[in-house]
Amino acid sequence: MSDLLSGLIQESISGIALGCIYALIALGFTLIYKATEVVNFAQGEIMMVGAYVNFFFVTQFAGMVGGLNGWVFLAALFCSTIFAVLFGIVLDLIISRPLKDEPVFSIIMATISLAIILRSLTAMIAGPISLVPVSPFGDSTIKVGGIVISVLDLAIIISAIILMGIFFFFFNKTRWGIAMKATSEDSEAAQLMGIPVKNVYRMVWVFAAIVGIISGVLLAPRMALLDTTMSYLGLKAFPAAILGGFGSIPGAVVGGIILGIIETVSMGTLSFHFEWIKEINDIIVWIVLIAVLMIRPDGLFGIAKVKRV
Amino acid sequence: MIKGRFDDENLKWIPVLIIVVFLFPFLLKSATFSYKYYLYILNIAGIYIILTVGLDILSGFTGLMSLGHAAFLAIGAYTSAILVDQVGLPFELSLIITPIIVGLFGFVIGFPALRIEGMYLGLTTMGFGFIVKRLIIAFREWTGGSGGLHVSKATFFGITINNDWDNYFMIYTFAILAIIIARRIVKSKLGRAFMAIRDSEQAAQASGINLAKYKMMSFFISGMFAGFAGVLFAHTSHFISTDHFDILLSILFIVMVLVGGVGSIYGAVLGTLFIVLMENMFIPLFEDGMSQFVHLEAGDFQVFIFGLIMLIFIIFQPLGLYGMWLKTRIYWKIFPFNPRKRFT
Repeated sequence: MSDLLSGLIQESISGIALGCIYALIALGFTLIYKATEVVNFAQGEIMMVGAYVNFFFVTQFAGMVGGLNGWVFLAALFCSTIFAVLFGIVLDLIISRPLKDEPVFSIIMATISLAIILRSLTAMIAGPISLVPVSPFGDSTIKVGGIVISVLDLAIIISAIILMGIFFFFFNKTRWGIAMKATSEDSEAAQLMGIPVKNVYRMVWVFAAIVGIISGVLLAPRMALLDTTMSYLGLKAFPAAILGGFGSIPGAVVGGIILGIIETVSMGTLSFHFEWIKEINDIIVWIVLIAVLMIRPDGLFGIAKVKRV
Repeated sequence: MIKGRFDDENLKWIPVLIIVVFLFPFLLKSATFSYKYYLYILNIAGIYIILTVGLDILSGFTGLMSLGHAAFLAIGAYTSAILVDQVGLPFELSLIITPIIVGLFGFVIGFPALRIEGMYLGLTTMGFGFIVKRLIIAFREWTGGSGGLHVSKATFFGITINNDWDNYFMIYTFAILAIIIARRIVKSKLGRAFMAIRDSEQAAQASGINLAKYKMMSFFISGMFAGFAGVLFAHTSHFISTDHFDILLSILFIVMVLVGGVGSIYGAVLGTLFIVLMENMFIPLFEDGMSQFVHLEAGDFQVFIFGLIMLIFIIFQPLGLYGMWLKTRIYWKIFPFNPRKRFT
């Protein structure tokens, strides 16, 4: 029985790491949704682009230095972040500006088309061969009382916490953060108060791109192979956001972690004990999604919306 | 959507069009030797037309989004395959029973639609697509799992439908029927209720439309069309596997409706023809040209072009091909006296 328990704990930690990545992706589109009311279906693809770009920079720098070391990864992360800023500005120009007052249906379809464009473009540029991602921590693990934790998972959890801390600080303490909050509350009123709403929108897209690309950088070493199916993980972040309550930032984090744990645990220990779980463990997040939407559509942290006529 | 001043219906050309549709294969046969390939492509288009017309009733007229229509197609195809080959029902009976079964599935998915809307509904139907795909693999005693399933040929009142030539006539008979039925639905009380729901749910409710009933009805009808397409798909392609009913196919259906023009039945037909012909005839040509410069994996370039087409249509031409046609028609009707800035 202790075997089962330690297995569960071990997988829960791995699940928290996966959940942190879901939470980061969910954070990305929650940011955009809150400010511009655009639901960005391409967040998973932004993450995938991030993983590829980071891989590209890592191999380039490693070629220049002549080997992998910590600085290579840091420099690659830095360059990827700069790329993310540019990427966010471009996305704002393509998606957000022309579709500002369109109905929800067209905006969703626009982001879906952006998603398939990004995915196929990445596949075309990167070529048909799947790449093997490199991890800055290798396969090293820590053992705490019979529970084996991989350093990579720990690093993911820590960097996710740092990133979320930065966002929390930014949103609540800085001038721009408060401007963003005001814009998401009521964009017209914000404009009347002298907030440059267009710049705020651009800023939001840039932030979403940064979050997406960093989540890609973090996720890539967890994958066995780097290929475009990675972007489907981005779709799984939607159930996470809805579980937490769409549009709520703490909700996105909590929902992401819960789903990460559910998924990892059902895939690991439980599937050895219950045969039938094996059949459903890759659709379990969707079952959770439909259940949440049927029972409590506003999620755990969401506030019930009042319809205005 | 567009309801121009000249939207009076001219039904005279419809019999002509039907005759042209049925004479087309003979024309094609005399024109090229590879007519069988073109017929094969047109058959796919015909099956998809049945589905997208149904999807248009759901998305274009009722305003409910579905990203899971490939799942309905899959349920239809597998149900019919199981009913005909394993249970032993005749094909004609399956043609009636299967759409009803798929419609009931639509009913089930329509149930959450009463409480949720917009992108939540899109996600629910997308999740439904994933779940259906996985469940088809899970029930592998009947469905053959991920290996796929061979399906028998259709026999229609004693006539065996053998090849693409026969398929063409069967599929397009049903496609034309589907278009006519969809037109009748849209012009009826039911269709007006759907449009009222699309335009404003509150106003519709206030004028006495039972939202729950009509939303479920819309899902049921759309599911029935998809199920019908599924039956034809299974029995004309003879082999079905879950790989075909991907999320990408669901998105492609939406692209078809969108490119054709949301909220018009003819638009859905036009969009489907446009996309299927693009997919199978023009893009391979481009791909050959491109492959001299970059190495391409099959399908990537195609998907890229579809994404681009969709984005361009959403941004610049939200009314689609049918909307473009209406605009040009109105433009030429009042030709010398066009007011400026009328068609923006």
